[in-house]
Amino acid sequence: MIQKEKIQQEIERTLESLDGIKRAEANPYLFTRIKARMNKRTGAWERTFSFVSKPLVALAVLALVMAMNGWSYFDNSIPTENLVSEAPETASLPDFESEYKVITSTDSYDYENANDE
Amino acid sequence: MINETELIERLKQGDETAFKTIVEQWQDMVYNTILGIVQNETEAEDLAQDVFIKVFEKIGTFKGDAKFSTWLYRIATTTALDHLRSKKRKKRFGFLQSLSGSSGEEKDQIPDFHHPGVRLDNKERASVLFKAIEELPDNQKAAYTLHKLEGLSYRDVSEVLSTTVSAVESLMSRANQNLRKQLEDYYNKHYR
Repeated sequence: MIQKEKIQQEIERTLESLDGIKRAEANPYLFTRIKARMNKRTGAWERTFSFVSKPLVALAVLALVMAMNGWSYFDNSIPTENLVSEAPETASLPDFESEYKVITSTDSYDYENANDE
Repeated sequence: MINETELIERLKQGDETAFKTIVEQWQDMVYNTILGIVQNETEAEDLAQDVFIKVFEKIGTFKGDAKFSTWLYRIATTTALDHLRSKKRKKRFGFLQSLSGSSGEEKDQIPDFHHPGVRLDNKERASVLFKAIEELPDNQKAAYTLHKLEGLSYRDVSEVLSTTVSAVESLMSRANQNLRKQLEDYYNKHYR
């Protein structure tokens, strides 16, 4: 009983331990550090922009985009009937459904016993 | 002495001297708030820097509806709580890694935190209390820290947390209950 009372006293004193607490002081060089971080960030962006804006880099990127564009154009210009005729014989949809037990209608799906199989 | 409104206007125009004045004027307030929440001096300093960089970048969105200090407290509290959440996520990931046998040992075992502003004779007790505060839910932790460490009234806390005074009263009451329970558990184990 006495111990319980003493514990209660300890709790009260602990809860009061922050009374009259003083504000913690920040590093006096905080502003200098903030400026250094901001300059570092700005510097990184400036470096990126100055690299990207170099004429040689810009022309190289432009050439790459045009090459990709041309490649996608020629790639799409292959007639599709050739692709269909060259495709291997494919299974019919009902075969596929029965093979993989695909449920085509959600109305008939038995959610409760789905894992019982 | 430049007044607050003029300082803010000058900061909106990118005036570096105004920014310096703002940092110097509010750095202790921001640092102390963050320190109370994250309970780590190195992290608190990094986060205080983050807060002022955000202030510099977002000052254009400050409309002056609330006090500048309220806006600043809001950014500081959110930044500190976001940091704790991301730290928790990393800790959880580390725990999962350790379960799967990878080297996910917990590197950031925090030693008992001692707030520099606590009176010397209260140092040990305050450390026990800070450990208990660490376990509070985020909103209770924020309300308790702002009220106890920064001395804000319930009304000011409610403005920072964008809530009502009665909600803050409720948060503080629940925070006190939780702290009492945790301290009871602690003293039941450690009291001799």
